[in-house]
Amino acid sequence: MEFEAVIGLEIHVELNCPTKMFCDCPNRYGDEPNANTCPTCLWFPGAAPRLSEVALEKAALLCLGLGAELQPTSVFDQKVYYYPDLPKGFQLSQAHLPLSRGGGIEIADETGKPKRLRIHHIHMEEDVAKLVHEMEGRVPISLVDFNRAGAPLVEIVTEPDFRSPHHAMEFLKALRTQVRYVGSSECSMENGTMRVDANISVRPRGTSQMNTKVEVKNMNSVRHVGDAIAYEFARQRAAVEAGEAVVLHTRLWDPDKKATLPMRAKFEGPCVPDPSVPVIALSREWIEAMRSRLPEMPAARAERFVAQHGLSADEATFLSADPDVARYFEALVGEGIAPRMALHWLGTQLLPAVKERGQELAATKVPAPRLAVLLKLLARDEINANVARKVLGAMFDSDDAPEAIVEAGGYRQVSDAKELDLLIDKVMVEKKLTAADLQGGQGKAMGFLIGQVMQASGGKANPKKIRELLAKKLGTA
Amino acid sequence: MDSVFVHRGSETAILGSGRLQGLRVALQPNLSVAGWPTDAGSRALADFKALEDATIVGRLRQAGACLCGSTRMSEFGFGLENSQAGEALRTKTADLELVLDLMGESRLAAARAGVCGLKPSYGLLSRLGLVGLVPSMECCGLLAADVARIRDTLQAIAGKDDLDFSLPDEEPSDLAPRAIEPRRTTLGLVGEAQGTLSAERDKAFRAAVGKLAAAGFAIKRLSMPDFPLFSLVHRIVGSVEASSCAGRYDSVRYGRRVPGARNWNEMYLTARGAAFGSHLKSYLLSGAFFQFERYQAFENACRIRARLLSEMRRLTAQVDALVSPAVGPVDLGAPPSLAETYAGFASTLFANVTGQPALVLPAADVAIQLVGARRGDGLLLALGERLLGIVKGGS
Ligand SMILES: [Zn+2]
Repeated sequence: MEFEAVIGLEIHVELNCPTKMFCDCPNRYGDEPNANTCPTCLWFPGAAPRLSEVALEKAALLCLGLGAELQPTSVFDQKVYYYPDLPKGFQLSQAHLPLSRGGGIEIADETGKPKRLRIHHIHMEEDVAKLVHEMEGRVPISLVDFNRAGAPLVEIVTEPDFRSPHHAMEFLKALRTQVRYVGSSECSMENGTMRVDANISVRPRGTSQMNTKVEVKNMNSVRHVGDAIAYEFARQRAAVEAGEAVVLHTRLWDPDKKATLPMRAKFEGPCVPDPSVPVIALSREWIEAMRSRLPEMPAARAERFVAQHGLSADEATFLSADPDVARYFEALVGEGIAPRMALHWLGTQLLPAVKERGQELAATKVPAPRLAVLLKLLARDEINANVARKVLGAMFDSDDAPEAIVEAGGYRQVSDAKELDLLIDKVMVEKKLTAADLQGGQGKAMGFLIGQVMQASGGKANPKKIRELLAKKLGTA
Repeated sequence: MDSVFVHRGSETAILGSGRLQGLRVALQPNLSVAGWPTDAGSRALADFKALEDATIVGRLRQAGACLCGSTRMSEFGFGLENSQAGEALRTKTADLELVLDLMGESRLAAARAGVCGLKPSYGLLSRLGLVGLVPSMECCGLLAADVARIRDTLQAIAGKDDLDFSLPDEEPSDLAPRAIEPRRTTLGLVGEAQGTLSAERDKAFRAAVGKLAAAGFAIKRLSMPDFPLFSLVHRIVGSVEASSCAGRYDSVRYGRRVPGARNWNEMYLTARGAAFGSHLKSYLLSGAFFQFERYQAFENACRIRARLLSEMRRLTAQVDALVSPAVGPVDLGAPPSLAETYAGFASTLFANVTGQPALVLPAADVAIQLVGARRGDGLLLALGERLLGIVKGGS
């Protein structure tokens, strides 16, 4: 019998709000333990939670960006369990009436066909504290850092529409792109701003039965999610084929062993309505105001790039995946750079250079208008591509105008026929090349010669011009 | 330390210059006053001192009131066991008392002390700085010898608080005094709300109603067969909220730990075991039982609560106020069981379930309770002022 996997994802996304969800403490990592706490997020007696408007807006934008329907009424519940990472014996979450329902993402499946993966609902939730277990001499101690307690989260719960690791990975990549677009989160699994749990079960292919599912946690990258799902599917299929029953439990992905291992179940308590956080009532006007704040989403932008700039679908998708990249591209084009040249320089030169220097594209030393000046010199043949790459490198270390760097380096392209003719002759003599050599050998010697002339010119020669002059010399022009 | 106060304020200088100039206010150690012990009557908060003033405490100060101390209270204000509420008034060491009203504690303490007691409408008073137990039902009650003093204080402390988002976004209530014309005023008697009174009290209550009718008030008899469900709903919903509210007393961030625990789970159990008294423990356990084992019953209780609310709203809309006897818990000489506590507050707790304002007036033999429409506190106080003179005369 052939089996298929039935997979659903539960994705926690940490919102990039300046403050926590129910108080004004900074929502920030890396500070001294318990530096960012107050009577509210430590739940001192008499404290009252105050839902952050920014958190609500960021969560709402995220929902709208994923095509979800914001609910006019949503409510916070208490997820009751007792654990030291919870300062009050319950976690504020939305169990019964979530912020949004529906939505989904269209991905390309393994064969390139579009497949829509649906979202069941998205709800808001507060993060819990971080526990650190240490030894004090021979006594084990647990330390609690409440800096993260009360940080704003949303949880995206999908329908069990996924059938393969590919589906899950593509969904997560697209999700990350879209959430970054609306500016609600960086969605980095590596940095923990996106955490993914997968629910996996198996069934005979083509049936619609829903079998016992196993939850898999602890994947730290999109790749790991794919690996963990593939492993777990194979494990369950083998179990079923061996006539064993799959039991409901939770497993942890071990990236070193490349296997999922069973974990002790965390006690799941009930969810009761919270009487302290008011009901969230969203008016139609408010929802429309949020919708109007949505940027153009990646799919729409890619489509526009194809239509407007004559790019291929792949090129347009590459450019629109990251909102900063898309903005940079449009700025270059807006400065009068040809779309294809903008795409080429952005993709092969600027992005690697920015990454290498550990800069953010949005705050790089070489913003689009500055790069555009350089590319215009190139387009006008005042410098060649080699030089342009060199000057770009120099622009990261200097505030000088690209022209000034070109002049200072004596980089201006040599297009003067007389000067180039002399160089060609010199190289031909040095390398003992004849006109006959150049005409034969399928242009091999020709390429060699051009390279040598370029070198002799210190990289400043205009290769187009050399070609022209050579053609004239050989009488092939 | 005396038998009434657990902490005495040292303020002699009178701050501010408001309408409450010089008014001596006693409160309970569950209302935050910066620097004061704030243990809410529980070992769970032993040695805990409030960091900041509660919003309503700040407003009292602003209005010139003098905070004269906090009085002995039951654990987290649940019931009147060991509570000295009302005693500061009776002994004339305070002019006004703030007493948490979870199920009628402030009103029945007023009846006990022979003074007036108001539980304001739910949402009228900020809860910031109140160490509560049942957030959706409790409210600070105001006790004083006369209604005018309650009104003055309420006007000074009621209303919006930017730091308490749980207050409903409503227009401020009109609390100003107003004239009451008995002939244009209807008082409702809900038969089921009168409970089972002793013959003596029954006679006293009938006599009081007779006086009101004689004074010209129209008396309308009403019925609410579901009235007994109020107790059940309060017991289920209230205990569930209490269980959640007490979850924070885990000795991780404050409170006392019991030495010797081998892991955090044991630490929780021993700390909580040592922190709570047996009466509160049975309440919290009852709440945990409904949360974890009978969630359906809790959901049903929430649904029934909504229905009771609308039935009560319908009854209240037919009259200007409901009148009923307020009969306090019988002193059994031993710690009461949960059932006995609930039986003791059967005449008052419905206003906590619905959030309506309720005013208890002292009268000979039996205290009279007036219950108005939510946010009708102004009318209720005016009525109370008028009625007090009529019913107080004795039989
Ligand atoms: Zn905080």
